[in-house]
Amino acid sequence: MPEGIFCNKKPIETQEELTALLGDTSGAQYYKEMKELDVDTKLLWTTIQNTCKSRIRTWLEICAHCGMCADSCFLYLVNDRDPKQVPAYKIQSTLGEIVKRKGNVDNQFMLMAMETAWAKCTCCNRCGMYCPHGIDMGIMFGYLRGLLYQQGFVPWELKIGAGMHRVFRAQMDVSEEEFVETFQWMVEENEDEYPGLTVPVDVENADIMYTVNAREVKHYPEDLAEAAILFHAAGENWTIPSQGWEQTSLAMFAGDWAACKMQVENVYAAMERLKPKRMVGTECGHAHRATVVEGPYWAGRKDGKPPVESIHYIEWLAEALREGKLKIDPERRIKVPVTLQDSCNYVRNHGLRDVAREILSYIVEPGYYREMSPNREHNFCCGGGGGFNGIGLFRPQRNKGLITKRDQILATGAELVIAPCHNCWDAIRDLEEEFEIGIKWSFLKPLVVSMLELPDHMKPEE
Amino acid sequence: MYEFITGFMFWLALGVCLTGMIVRTILYFRGLQWNLDRVAYKAYPVEGFKGAIRSIYKWIMPFGTHGWRKQPFMTVIFFSFHIGAVCVPLFLLAHNLFLKEKLGFSFVSINGGVADFLTWLVVISTIFIILRRLALPEVRILTNWYDYLIIFISITPFITGLMARYEVGSYSFWLLAHIISGEILLFAIPFTKLSHVFLFFASRAQLGMDYGIKRGGLKGTVMDW
Amino acid sequence: MFKKILFATSATEASDHAARVAFNMAGPLGAHLDLFHVLGVPTRGFSQVVLDVKTKEEVAVDADYISWVEEEVKNYYANQLATGVDCSIKVAVGVPHREILRQAREIEPDLIILGGTTGADEDSVYKSSTGSTLQRVAKASPCPILVVNRPAASFWGGLSNIVFGTDFSKASDKAFEFALNIVTSLNCELHIFHALDISSKNMGMSMQQDEIDHKIREAYRMIRSKYVSKMKDYKNYSMNVWEGIPYIEIVKYTREKQADLIIMAHNSRKLDADGPKIGSNMEQVIMRANCPVISVNR
Repeated sequence: MPEGIFCNKKPIETQEELTALLGDTSGAQYYKEMKELDVDTKLLWTTIQNTCKSRIRTWLEICAHCGMCADSCFLYLVNDRDPKQVPAYKIQSTLGEIVKRKGNVDNQFMLMAMETAWAKCTCCNRCGMYCPHGIDMGIMFGYLRGLLYQQGFVPWELKIGAGMHRVFRAQMDVSEEEFVETFQWMVEENEDEYPGLTVPVDVENADIMYTVNAREVKHYPEDLAEAAILFHAAGENWTIPSQGWEQTSLAMFAGDWAACKMQVENVYAAMERLKPKRMVGTECGHAHRATVVEGPYWAGRKDGKPPVESIHYIEWLAEALREGKLKIDPERRIKVPVTLQDSCNYVRNHGLRDVAREILSYIVEPGYYREMSPNREHNFCCGGGGGFNGIGLFRPQRNKGLITKRDQILATGAELVIAPCHNCWDAIRDLEEEFEIGIKWSFLKPLVVSMLELPDHMKPEE
Repeated sequence: MYEFITGFMFWLALGVCLTGMIVRTILYFRGLQWNLDRVAYKAYPVEGFKGAIRSIYKWIMPFGTHGWRKQPFMTVIFFSFHIGAVCVPLFLLAHNLFLKEKLGFSFVSINGGVADFLTWLVVISTIFIILRRLALPEVRILTNWYDYLIIFISITPFITGLMARYEVGSYSFWLLAHIISGEILLFAIPFTKLSHVFLFFASRAQLGMDYGIKRGGLKGTVMDW
Repeated sequence: MFKKILFATSATEASDHAARVAFNMAGPLGAHLDLFHVLGVPTRGFSQVVLDVKTKEEVAVDADYISWVEEEVKNYYANQLATGVDCSIKVAVGVPHREILRQAREIEPDLIILGGTTGADEDSVYKSSTGSTLQRVAKASPCPILVVNRPAASFWGGLSNIVFGTDFSKASDKAFEFALNIVTSLNCELHIFHALDISSKNMGMSMQQDEIDHKIREAYRMIRSKYVSKMKDYKNYSMNVWEGIPYIEIVKYTREKQADLIIMAHNSRKLDADGPKIGSNMEQVIMRANCPVISVNR
């Protein structure tokens, strides 16, 4: 059977298609159809010829097969050093083979490649740092995902995720009205406690335009409240765009480059419409990577930068604390052993390795901070990056993947893990559910809110 | 015979090797595309250049990177092999005399003892490299006949050179074998995995530019290789 | 009085006592009862999978599953629904306290009745955020919330005796307004009560009896000026000030008065990091009381 009803080469374009696919519980029929899905070998080869240029071709060609990348991959390490988990092997046996065979591969091969691309690699890019030739297999897996997506070989949740972006310009079914309304609700809920708290919507020329992750709106809007409180307490002139507020991109995990472009252009349009001085995104790793690091390229911006300076939440927070816009009550600083999870997406992939540490220097009582080993750009992936967290089909592999992080955390002796990234936060939450090692985990916002020293005029009347 | 292989064949091998390297390097850099690679190479030439140089420099220093430090055994055999493999062909006195005669110029020459030592180092580290390939499952799974062919092409000139050097059996046979295998190596460089002798620098430069520009370079973060 | 009551239920035994109160209250008062059940907490990152709060299993939620759970809830309350109470059922997915608050915002009820939880670890998957569902709903609820903790506290008959416990805070003023509103419309007896805290304030040092007497007199004065003055010609009330550990005294007092309901202000703004085991007066009273407790926040 060439194209299935749910599993096919056509992206989700409408809400009806989205609802229908969502109705296929756990993708049961979707995956059944996938086993019959034909490979359009001609399209595959044409795409490769058009997009696989000297960088990736050279990488594939000069790989010395030295195996030095093996130890850099946490999935290799946790899977009892299974040689099939060696990054070089994983990419050579998938993308390498496709190129070698000029796209002449069959359904079986594509199923294997899909599992490799989504269950054996989180695109954390750590291997690239350990290859003498500078071969970044994470990048190649990102590329491979694009080829697989084009052929319809993509995990069910990610086909939906990319579809969400195409239909809603958000990773979940949250409309523009719902976003603004939820933000306003959160402000109402907290204005007694923080007099004067507001959420400025679509204000032009503000200093900060704030963008979020749709999950905050849908499931834990407290995060929006905390963001509003911190901007308010810092006296920032900020705003949210009613359109283009979603910073994340499941389309990036899915390899749906066209949807990536649509999504990020929506945010850039908001920047151009509202002309803020800066954009600040929420505590999310892949959202930052999608909108700030990779986004400019999808949108065809030659300078590799978004239309206005765009920073991660931790950069804003560090600045606000450094400049004294936000004051911390020293009494309420963290007094339990605490460690930090470095997010690959903005630490290894955007150089923000010391920013969160600066924040911790203000909010943790001296002597309580513990570094993970390794850390900074050498840190391991949380175990759930690149979409791994959300894919039901690969849940067992994901759970195994959490072991690296579990052991890293245990080695620090920390009771609290600060994870300023949604994906890492989820993975660490799941890790506690799976292994019950007795840790707590948190974003930065609730911690900072709880230890804020408010100026008198911002205190509630009693 | 000798005339032919040190004459026409030598010129051909050298010509093919050099031209091949130049053409392929040019093609490599022309094939870098800012939008497909998602690195704004042209917008930030200075940052890109710095990142590239650093990325190369760190990795050609023994124990210069986390990767090298993490695997000391590999680092030792890797550098033992490569230092010899680069220095002996270029700086051996006999090669320089040959060059002088053919091209009218020569490089500095190294002491004969040092050259012997380096050559033996190349041979011995090759043995270890092969053993490592056989012993470690994570390397074995990657290894195929092509890898051994490359090792064979690379090591034959050294072995034949040593045979000639110690005049085991017929000197002229080994010399001939040495020259032929050397020329095969030159021919192979642009067309096989041996292209890494120049593409190593290209590829490292590329990732260096990536980090120097996009992945933190513009934020002022110097990559900790 | 109560036109719309939001009853947030687990649809399990844990909520049975609260259900009794909810149906017994809604019926006679002619109020609309909005049965609301959060079936599961989202898990697995961005995916559609939720952790079913009842079975503790991961389930893929779709429209079928939701209507199936709705049917379950309907069956669970079949007997009560047969009595003809004006009732609607809604099932949602999300973090319980947030979804309850979302529903409250949508329907604007006069009262939220919180059912019991499905176990101490109800919030385990989101436990990193602080506070129990009760605390978090109480903190942000736009209307009073009624909680039944002990089976003994469930509510059998009508309302005739109501205890209003005060600490003279601003929130207590609000709670008083609410209490007065109830007693006047239902014409029942109001017991205004203040407990003088002699436990924690003077750690290790017992207060002189003279000082206690003085403070008690002062509290009576406060009750008269703050509350009695507002009651105009409503005479069906009593007032008492006892000294002791506040939450114990209020529970004892309620028992003595055979009251059907306690009304108090929920004062704590901050959420407690250790979940449901908390020491605030409010929660202690809820845990110990023999009757339902209504918490008023604003």
